[in-house]
Amino acid sequence: MLKNYLKITWRNLLKNKGFTAINIAGLAIGMASAALILFWVQNEVSYDQFHQDKDRLYQMYNRSVFDGKLWCWGTTPKIMRSALKQDYPQIEQVARTNKCNFLFTLGEKHLTLAGNYTDPDFLTMFSFPLIKGNPKTALNDMKNIILTEKTAKKLFGDEDVMGKTIKIDSVDYFTVTGIMKDLPNNTQFDFEYLMPWTYMEKVDKQVEKNWGNNSVQTWALLKPGITEAAINAQVKDITRKNSEIKDIDVFMHPATKWHLYSKFENGKIVGGRIETIRLFSIIAGLILLIACINFMNLSTARSEKRAKEVGIRKVVGALKGSLIAQFLGESIMIAFFAGILALIIVQLSLSGFNNLTDKHLIIPYDSPVFWLISLSFILFTGVLSGSYPALYLSSFVPVKVLKGTFKEPNAVFSPRKILVVLQFMCAIVFIISTIIIKEQLEYAQNRDTGYKKNNLVYTFMTGNIEKNYRLIRNELLTSGAAVAVSKTSAPMTEGWSDTWDYTWQGKQEGAKIDFNMYNTDGSFTKTMGLKVIEGRDIDAEKYPSDSLAVLLNEASVKIMGFKHPVGQIVVNNGTKLTVVGVVKDFILQSPYEPVRPMIIQGPKSWFAVIHYKLNEKNTTAKNLQLAEAVFKKFNSEYPFDYHFVDDEYALKFKDEQRTGTLATLFAGLTIFISCLGLFGLATYMAQNRIKEIGVRKVLGASVFGVSSMLSKDFLKLVGIAFLIATPLAWWGMYTWLQGYTYRVPISIWVFVTAAAVTVIISIITVSFQAIKAALANPVKSLRSE
Amino acid sequence: MIKITNLEKFYRTEEVETIALNKLSMEVNTGEFVAIMGPSGCGKSTLLNILGMLDDPDAGSYVFNGVEIAHFNERKRADLRKHNIGFVFQSFNLIDELTVFENVELPLIYTGVSSADRVKRVEEVLDKMQIMHRRNHYPQQLSGGQQQRVAIARAVVNKPKLILADEPTGNLDSSNGNDVMELLTDLNEQGTTIIMVTHSEHDARYSHRIIRLLDGQTVMENIMV
Ligand SMILES: Nc1ncnc2c1ncn2[C@@H]1O[C@H](COP(=O)(O)OP(=O)(O)OP(=O)(O)O)[C@@H](O)[C@H]1O
Ligand SMILES: [Mg+2]
Repeated sequence: MLKNYLKITWRNLLKNKGFTAINIAGLAIGMASAALILFWVQNEVSYDQFHQDKDRLYQMYNRSVFDGKLWCWGTTPKIMRSALKQDYPQIEQVARTNKCNFLFTLGEKHLTLAGNYTDPDFLTMFSFPLIKGNPKTALNDMKNIILTEKTAKKLFGDEDVMGKTIKIDSVDYFTVTGIMKDLPNNTQFDFEYLMPWTYMEKVDKQVEKNWGNNSVQTWALLKPGITEAAINAQVKDITRKNSEIKDIDVFMHPATKWHLYSKFENGKIVGGRIETIRLFSIIAGLILLIACINFMNLSTARSEKRAKEVGIRKVVGALKGSLIAQFLGESIMIAFFAGILALIIVQLSLSGFNNLTDKHLIIPYDSPVFWLISLSFILFTGVLSGSYPALYLSSFVPVKVLKGTFKEPNAVFSPRKILVVLQFMCAIVFIISTIIIKEQLEYAQNRDTGYKKNNLVYTFMTGNIEKNYRLIRNELLTSGAAVAVSKTSAPMTEGWSDTWDYTWQGKQEGAKIDFNMYNTDGSFTKTMGLKVIEGRDIDAEKYPSDSLAVLLNEASVKIMGFKHPVGQIVVNNGTKLTVVGVVKDFILQSPYEPVRPMIIQGPKSWFAVIHYKLNEKNTTAKNLQLAEAVFKKFNSEYPFDYHFVDDEYALKFKDEQRTGTLATLFAGLTIFISCLGLFGLATYMAQNRIKEIGVRKVLGASVFGVSSMLSKDFLKLVGIAFLIATPLAWWGMYTWLQGYTYRVPISIWVFVTAAAVTVIISIITVSFQAIKAALANPVKSLRSE
Repeated sequence: MIKITNLEKFYRTEEVETIALNKLSMEVNTGEFVAIMGPSGCGKSTLLNILGMLDDPDAGSYVFNGVEIAHFNERKRADLRKHNIGFVFQSFNLIDELTVFENVELPLIYTGVSSADRVKRVEEVLDKMQIMHRRNHYPQQLSGGQQQRVAIARAVVNKPKLILADEPTGNLDSSNGNDVMELLTDLNEQGTTIIMVTHSEHDARYSHRIIRLLDGQTVMENIMV
């Protein structure tokens, strides 16, 4: 029986090559897209779930009130670890991590690598296995270092590196005491090496005991049997108990929620990555469904051809059940071919997809689970696409279909029409979303940044740069590489610190107002091309008292309520600072948010970055060459490293650009698959009505008349789809835009464009077949009676 | 073998109700060869479909081999049908995607005959119908007469007790038509009961008895000599 089914399926596939191709191609594309998204989802949900003790692992979090709202954040004071270790017997191990960036020197080789400082506990708390070295002791000594396999290879090639010595930052020599298996592609941790925490304390020249500085991450492993609720009740007061700070609660965030549930609102978890994952899973399902709908539509559209077969089989004794099995078998077989094709498509597009999503996904060919899931996926697709046709076809009644005059009824609400509407509805929603996402992106990109990004470059102050700053500045200017230089506390594109520790005359008692903190040694407005609205720039050389001067931005002036800001005194941490000028608001952080109040302090503060405006008279290459010579001269141990502010600024749009590209991709895929199905339906319809068309032409209908009659039916469906899709898309995009304070209004033109695009594409798809049918010679088609 | 009493069948469309069979009663005995005749639309095919358990009556009784089956559900009817009844249609109704051999084999598959037995029995009937040499051809590659012989082969391969034929010669020329009638006569002589619908007085003469219908009712029965 099975053989008989397979035979007839196979012959049917071969006989209708066009339909087979459309069916398999559509399903394969749908399956491939869904599979890629599912790969992504699988990777996302498995983040940091491979740690053996994940059920006991937690990250320390703070909770406090600002501006009347509860905020939660995952950075802690450095001192928290010792308090946890001392006073909480429920906690087994505690480790902190903090980012570091060092120049590694090995003979002639210089490499800047990013790593983590951490405590020895880290190696036993997390499941990052060492290939070589003892996890219990590898970080015990201050000058020990653990390299990942990749880093070891980068530095030493294939040599055995255990016990070898590396020069760090031209000051210290480290011994390699461990090689760590490369980090998997599903962990939030990202480091090329691990260094002992004690070394950081040596670099900082202090063991910080301040409970007010939240700058590192602290991880805790609970003893077995301790519940989250129990420990949270215990650690809540840890900051209050150990310091003067009274308004901070501490709690633990479990490893099972780190990646997916890390968005807090008013002190409670409200989601996070999980929202994107849900959305993407839905999209994967929809694309697969759209592909399956093609299959359903084409199979049922061709049902007249198969009706006779069903009738005969029933006459000779087939039951409905065996016919359902037969048709399901057929669709599973097609899904199987499509699945093979899909696997090829996935393999070919994986690297592009990885690029797009910033992932390192691979197909686990050697995993039996993968094959098992793939087979189930194929089975699922086959059943999903085949069930409706199977039920539909197997319910034909022999006495009707064997009369030889069987025609399907042309109902107003046939399931096939509903399915086409559903397909196009999805396609139109995607098209509208794509247009709005791109508009929003462009809107934010075109927003005035408030300063001049072009030709503005910055370099981090590594090694001897800070020490030789004056010399470097002067030579940058005299060599003609730059026209202005300013030393700052952070890059122009990043807000590195903020504080509510400012007071001024007229400040409301007890108000907690947060300011972005930024420092400059002078020439700030000239270097950045910023507009001074009132007063002047900080210039300590001309006005020695300016070492304690500050600039305010417009947002600060507004929130502080100054009528005449210049000359006002602002107090920070007990130090009196004098306002000397007001600058125009500029975008430091998010281009989607309003500019936050900001206070720019003068030379008597700390610095990390040099900004310099390149000389427009020279080519960029020449300027960089000159600048490199200057930096090499005063900081010879380090490679010259520089960043263009406009490049860095462009990175702020990476997420939205990615969303835009993905939306375009989804829109393109759905419309393509939908049109593939539409094309198949139109082909079938043209064949089916060939006699009718012949008769009409004999009676005098024009080619245009006939082809528009055939296209009209389909366009009506697209029209209905549009009417349903519009409010859905509007609502979805309205919700998405709420996430941005600075957002584009949704204009009616978006919908008009989407409608035009869909209608044009579907007209092209359908009319090709319609015109072909209309052009056919009626004598031929009528003779086939 | 067959006894129907006061059988009724209606077709309802939105505007009209057609009475296809109107309190029809008749009897067919085992081994008989009965022809059913009557003008177009008088209900012949409807009757045959009900006799063949492809359709159910709206009222009346249908006793097949002593069992009342008017109320049987689809599964029971299919089971009874595949073991007892073979069909021959005017338009042959072969499956285009299957070869001659596979078309004939189909009923055996559904009655669960083993593969080796199937080959034997299909070859036997193809031989008898003299189309063995066409066993690997597809229906479109055969003439109408050959196709109808394949259809008859398929109808008899399960050795049914009853063959129902609806205008089996309707699409054939007279020589092919006579061949088909000879085949049916042979089968009847070997013990198979045959009920055949026809418009041709010539073909009807092959039967033992002619039942004439008009507007869903029996109007006359002729016994052939
Ligand atoms: N599916 C149906 N729906 C409505 N009416 C039907 C249907 N099938 C048959 N009829 C009607 O029932 C009556 C009997 O039809 P039937 O097919 O049995 O006639 P017939 O005697 O076989 O005619 P012919 O010699 O032309 O084949 C006719 O009036 C026909 O119009
Ligand atoms: Mg008839």
